[in-house]
Amino acid sequence: MADVSYSKTVIGEPAKAEAVVKSSPRRLPTRERWLGIATIVAFIVIWEAVYRLGLMPKWAFPSPWQVVLAFQELIASGKLLTNTAASVGRQITGVLLAALVGIPAGLALGASPTARAAFLPLCRLLYPIPGIAWIPLAILWFGVGFTSTVFVIFFSGIWSIMFNTMTGVQTLSGQYTDVANVYLASRSLYTRRILIPGSLPYIIAGMRLTYGVGWRVIVGAEMISSITGLGFLIDDARWQLRPDIMICGMITIAMIGWVSENWFFDWVEEKTLVRWGMRTT
Amino acid sequence: MLTIENINKKYVSHGSETSALVDISLRIEKGEFICLLGPSGCGKSTLLRIIAGLIQATSGGVVIEGKPVSGPGPERAVVFQDYALFPWMTVRDNVEFGLEARKLPVGERHEISTRLLKVVGLSDFAERFPHQLSGGMKQRVSIARALAVDPSLLLMDEPFGALDAQNRQLMQDELLRIWREYRKTVVFVTHSIEEAIYLSDRIVVMTARPGRVKQIITVPETRPRDMASVEMNRRQREVRAVLGEEIARAAALEEADLMAGA
Repeated sequence: MADVSYSKTVIGEPAKAEAVVKSSPRRLPTRERWLGIATIVAFIVIWEAVYRLGLMPKWAFPSPWQVVLAFQELIASGKLLTNTAASVGRQITGVLLAALVGIPAGLALGASPTARAAFLPLCRLLYPIPGIAWIPLAILWFGVGFTSTVFVIFFSGIWSIMFNTMTGVQTLSGQYTDVANVYLASRSLYTRRILIPGSLPYIIAGMRLTYGVGWRVIVGAEMISSITGLGFLIDDARWQLRPDIMICGMITIAMIGWVSENWFFDWVEEKTLVRWGMRTT
Repeated sequence: MLTIENINKKYVSHGSETSALVDISLRIEKGEFICLLGPSGCGKSTLLRIIAGLIQATSGGVVIEGKPVSGPGPERAVVFQDYALFPWMTVRDNVEFGLEARKLPVGERHEISTRLLKVVGLSDFAERFPHQLSGGMKQRVSIARALAVDPSLLLMDEPFGALDAQNRQLMQDELLRIWREYRKTVVFVTHSIEEAIYLSDRIVVMTARPGRVKQIITVPETRPRDMASVEMNRRQREVRAVLGEEIARAAALEEADLMAGA
């Protein structure tokens, strides 16, 4: 085949200018940012006021400062770190397992009407069972500790990722399938190069939900079926009449949840969907 | 050589049968540039998809080089109207997709995509993603992807329909240049009379729904063709006369559909 060089006339297309794509970090304008901070400050002020005015019994209602002191104590004793590490470890394990099972299952359900006919009724039946309801069974099966908590996170979280992946596959443009057929792509190439990246907007949304559900259920699970973790820390504080420690645990959960749910998944989206123009920031 | 023998295509929906194509027979010679021209809804894209092997005819069939078509094949490639590029792949990966499917070694793939990106003038855009390109550039990537698998038959489904007039003209010239150079057989679907006359050796004019072959018009003028010349003007009037009543009939059919609430 001859090497055909490109005719000069066509190069001056307007697209060169268009072709620069800026990925702007989504940052709130200063005014809105301050509004958000002001509301959080107001919340703490009201909290302090309720404490000072004695609207709640002091032994059950700590002041913000007492919570800060409790934080200091927990950090110094290493309790905060070990319990946080325990919770995060279970969370990551449970969520990864849910993804490992849920994504392939969702792909299969989305791609095959037979699989949907066979498995969807069972899934729909299991789905409304709250994760917490699995705890007693989990303790019977796996005893108190790591495995039973992971099991509960897994069963709470798998549905979001599975159903989302399924929807992603079902809404994938038929044109991509046409292209795959025209170029005689194998089943595995189709799955790897088209089905998974094409469903990624839904897969990421599903992982966000799965992660969120897991993180919300972990505390309940640890209160009942564990002797470590942030849930245990909170529940154990009840026996010591230490509401300040309870609130430390709650704040830690909030911070970790906020950072990971927003920052981590936003980062993943930035690297994939935004880069591919499949989502506009 | 491509032969289309007595193709019929019927769709069944809500228990009633609709004919999309009736008794289409056609012979296309190797290296020929053929346009399928017809009013919207006449089934010209359906015919192209049958040739591509993406859908089956209800009866009749397509034979390529003596072999009946039962599905997509390595000697055919399709360029779709809305490009159908994969947004998650770079321009280069998109061009190499057919080669990846054919399990070519990475080095060879790279060589071919580099050459074809040069052919379509996108060497500087190899590592970009499709959303960073203009419509015309996207369609050039799509053409490069089709050429990469070195098909003898290039099927194009209104490939320039989404482009503005200027880009459209540029792309038509690009396509003719590539066609001359690589000697592909091209089947090109369009609803534009000018485009059909400018590009084709022969124009297959189709009727309004259900699609039949109304007339086959040969365009003998040598390329490059001057659309303003007397001969080309006469040719345009000729095609317009043939297509005109079909366009009117297609419009009447559409109106009737809307009245019936279909």
